[in-house]
Amino acid sequence: MSFSIPRSALVSACAVLTASVSGFGQSSTAPADLVIKNATVMTASHGTIQHGSVWLHNGKIAGVGATVSAPAGATVVDATGKYVTPGIIDPHSHSALGDDVNEATSPVTPSMMMIDAFDNRDKALYQALAGGVTSELLLHGSANMIGGQAVVIKNKFGLSKEEMLFPNAPRSIKFASGENPKRVYGTRNQLPSTRMGNFEVMRQSFEDAKVYRKEWDDYNAKVASGDKNVRMPHRDLKLEALADILRGKLLVQIHCYRADEFLTEEAIAQEYGFKIRAFHHALEMYKVGGKIAADGTGIATFTDWYGGKYEMWDGIPWNAVMSMREGVRVALKSDSNDHIRRLNQEAGKMVHYGGATEDEAITMVTLNPAWIMGIDDKTGSLDVGKDGDVVIWNVNPLSTYARAEKVYIDGDLFFDSSLPGFGTTHFSGVMHGSGFGAGEDDDDEQGDN
Amino acid sequence: MLRNLFVDRFAAIRSLAAAGSLVLGFCGVTGVLAQAPMVDTTPGPGTIAITGGKLLTITHGVIENGVVLIEGGKITAVGSAASVKVPKGATIVDAKGMTVYPGLIDAETRLGLSEIASDRMTNDTVEPSEEIFPQMHVYDAFHAESEHIPITRFNGITNAVVAPANTDTIPGQDSFIQLAGRDRDTMLMVRDVALAMNFGEAPKRGGRGEGGGAGGARYPSTRMGEISQMRQALLDAQEYMARRARPAGGDEGAAAPAAGGGRGGAGGSNFNLRNEALIPYLKGEKPVVLGAYDGHDVETAMEFAKDFHLKVILSHVTRAQDVLDKIASYHVPVIVGPIFDLPEANERFDSVYSLPGELQKRGVKVILASYNVSNSRNLPYSAGFAVAYGMPYDEAMKSITLNPAEAFGLGDKLGSLDTGKIANVVIADGDPLDVRTSVKQVYINGVAIPMETRQTRLRDEYWPKK
Repeated sequence: MSFSIPRSALVSACAVLTASVSGFGQSSTAPADLVIKNATVMTASHGTIQHGSVWLHNGKIAGVGATVSAPAGATVVDATGKYVTPGIIDPHSHSALGDDVNEATSPVTPSMMMIDAFDNRDKALYQALAGGVTSELLLHGSANMIGGQAVVIKNKFGLSKEEMLFPNAPRSIKFASGENPKRVYGTRNQLPSTRMGNFEVMRQSFEDAKVYRKEWDDYNAKVASGDKNVRMPHRDLKLEALADILRGKLLVQIHCYRADEFLTEEAIAQEYGFKIRAFHHALEMYKVGGKIAADGTGIATFTDWYGGKYEMWDGIPWNAVMSMREGVRVALKSDSNDHIRRLNQEAGKMVHYGGATEDEAITMVTLNPAWIMGIDDKTGSLDVGKDGDVVIWNVNPLSTYARAEKVYIDGDLFFDSSLPGFGTTHFSGVMHGSGFGAGEDDDDEQGDN
Repeated sequence: MLRNLFVDRFAAIRSLAAAGSLVLGFCGVTGVLAQAPMVDTTPGPGTIAITGGKLLTITHGVIENGVVLIEGGKITAVGSAASVKVPKGATIVDAKGMTVYPGLIDAETRLGLSEIASDRMTNDTVEPSEEIFPQMHVYDAFHAESEHIPITRFNGITNAVVAPANTDTIPGQDSFIQLAGRDRDTMLMVRDVALAMNFGEAPKRGGRGEGGGAGGARYPSTRMGEISQMRQALLDAQEYMARRARPAGGDEGAAAPAAGGGRGGAGGSNFNLRNEALIPYLKGEKPVVLGAYDGHDVETAMEFAKDFHLKVILSHVTRAQDVLDKIASYHVPVIVGPIFDLPEANERFDSVYSLPGELQKRGVKVILASYNVSNSRNLPYSAGFAVAYGMPYDEAMKSITLNPAEAFGLGDKLGSLDTGKIANVVIADGDPLDVRTSVKQVYINGVAIPMETRQTRLRDEYWPKK
C-alpha cells in the first residue's frame, strides 16, 4: 500500500520547520476560564445560537448561550462574525497506523490491538487537526470478517501517545463483509471466497466463542463458590476477544455495503445475542433504513463516494439524509486521509443532497459519530459538562470556504491557523509520512473502502 | 419552484428520447451495469430565454437580473434585462433567485474509460504493455453510455477532457467531450485534443504495482530511463518526419525500417502509427499535457519539452511549491491538482490548497481538474477550496471554464456566457462553488438535459414515504 516519493521540496519544508520553532515549547495547560464570544454557535444538540458565547472552565464546557456567567478574569476570544462548533469527530479512520492496517493472514483476528500500530507523529493527524478534527476512531482494515480492536484518540497532536488516547472510551471492534474478505482470501483459494463463506466463518467463530465463554463462566462460578480444586481453562486471546463480543463488552463496527448483508448481520447478531453499534460505508442503507433503525444500529457513511466496486454501485449521495429520515442515526466519516481534512464540507453536501438542515448536517460530523464511538456523553456537542472540544471557523463550517481557525481540545488550544509554520501549539520535531491512503493519483484517494 | 417550471420540458424531452431510441424505457435501476440513456442534443426550433438570474459571464463580469438567449444551440444574446429584448414566442425560463453560468469543464478525467474501478473488464484507462504509445486514442475506448456521465453533468459539468491514466510516459491522446449527445460521435468534440505525457514516479516500470525491487524491474525503471526513452521516441519521429518530407524515390525504401520499431511499420510500408501520431505535437500544432508532481520533475520535464519545442500544458505540480516562480516563467497553462492531494510530512496543512492561488498570483493561467471519474462531479468544490485559500473568486471560476477551454483550443466555443458560443449553460440555486448549492438545470448545445441519473432513479424509488 505504501508508496513513497522522493521529496524535492526540502528547502521549503525546512523553511516552514524553522519558522515554526519559535512557537514550540508552550505549556499544555489550558487557561482556567476561556470565553469565546459573539459567535454563531452551532451546538449539535440544541440548535444554533446567534451572537452566542461558549465558556470553558478547566477544560470542560461550563456555559453555552446568548450570555454566559464566566468570571471576570477569563481569557476572552472575540469571535465576531465567526462560527463555533463542537470538534469534528471521525468514526472511521485508518490514519496514523502506517502500513499496519490489515492483519490479512486470517479472516478472524479479534485480538489485534490497533494501538500497537498507532504512530502519534503521523502527518495525517496534523492535517486532520487543521480541519477541525478533535477525535478519531482508528480502525482495523476490512480484509477480515472479524478484524482488530480500535483506538479512540483525542487529536492532541504533539503530545505523547498515551496523552492522545481518549480517556475511558469504550472498546470497539471492526468487522467486515462483502467483497473485501472475499477478494483477499478468495484470491488465495482460502476460506472465505464467497459471501456464504464470509458468514460461515463468522458463525463458526461465535460457536467457538460460546464454548470458550462457558468454560470460563463455569470456572469463575466454581471459584466464586469456593471450589479450590478447579483447573483454570486455557487462555486464548482470540477466543477471549470473541467472548467479549458475546458479553457485549465491545462496540461492533461493521464494514458493509449491501442491504441484504445488513439484514444478515443483524440476524447473526440477534442469534448470538450481541448488538451492532454501526454499519460503516452502508451505501445501501436507504433501501432498508426503517428496519435497521428499529434494531438501534447507526451508520457511518460516505457522502458521495460510489462506484469503485460492485457493492458500491448503488451508492447514492442522498443515502445519509434518506436513512436519517427513516430514523437511522447517521454519521459521516472519512476512511481517507484526504476527506478527514474536510468533513465539515462533506456535511455541507447533505444540504445539497436531500435537504438536511444545517443543524442536522453538523450533527452528522459531531454528535452522531460520538455516539457510534460511545463517547457522546463526553464530547460531540456544546453542552455543559462535556469536554471543551471546540472549533472556531472563519465562516459557516458547511460552506466550501470554511477554514478551521482555532481548535481546542479539553479547553487547550492545539491549532491556530494564524500562527506561522504549522499552526500547531504543542508539536515540535518531525512528522512522519502516512502509509495509508497517501493519495498519489485518482484512484488511491480513499482508505480501506 | 424552478423545478415545476421544468417539469413540462422534461416530459417533452423524455417522450422525444423515448420515441427516438427507446433507450429510456430499457434503463432499469436494478441492472448492475445499466447503460445510461443517451440524450439527443440536436437543438430544437425557437428561442430559449433564461431570464431574471444572476449571470456569471466569466468574460464580462456579473450581471444581476440578466437574460441569456439561446437559439440553434448557440448563445445569441447575453445582457441585463434592460438591454436584451426577448423575442416573441421564446420559451421563457424564469431563473429569478438563481445563478446562471457557463457549463463547467473538467480538464482531466477518465470519464467513459472506467465504470467500476475494481473490475478490469470495465476499465480501459491505460495500455500498460509499452511506455510510448502516442497512437492510443482514448476515443477508441470511450464508453458514451457510462452511468458516470449523467451523474457528473448533474452537478453542472458539461465538458471534460478524457485522458489515459498516468502510468505510461506517453500513454496516448486525450479527447475533449460534451457530456451529452445522441451517440458517441456527437459527444466527441475533439477526438485527439492533446497528447498525454507523464514524468516521475508513476510511469516507472518495476515501480508501482509491479512489485518493485531490482529483480522485478523493467525498462524504464528510473527517471533517467523515462527521459531517455521519450527522447529516443521523439528523435525517431523527427527522423520519420524528415524522411517522409523528402521526395519519393529517395534513399529510403523497404530496406530502411521505420524508426521507432513501431507496429505498422513492418514490411514494405513506411507508414508508422506511432511516429505519425507524434507529428502534430512535434510541429507544435497541438498541446501536450505534461504531468509531473515534484519541483525537480517539473524542471526536468520542461527542459525536455523545450528541446523539442513542444506546446505544453503542465499538469499536477502539487509537490512543486519550491519552483513556483520558475513555473510562472514558462508561460504555459497549468492544470493544478487534484487540489486534494495531500501535503508531505513537515509541510503546512494548506500547501496544496493554496497552490492555485499562488500560481495565479504569479500570472499563471491556472486550470483545475478532478483527474477522476466518480469524483468529477466535485470539480466545482476544487475551485471553492482554491478561493478559500487565496485565489480570487473570478479567477477560480475561470479555472474551470474559460481557462481549460482556451488551453485546449476551444476558447471561441466554450467557457463563458458570450454571444456565438455553444449554449452549454447551467442554472443553480446559489454559488456554483459552494457544496450546499444544487444545480437545477443543465443545457448542453442549447438543449435542456433531463436532470435524471441512475442515482436519482434509485433515490426516487426508495425515497421515504412518511
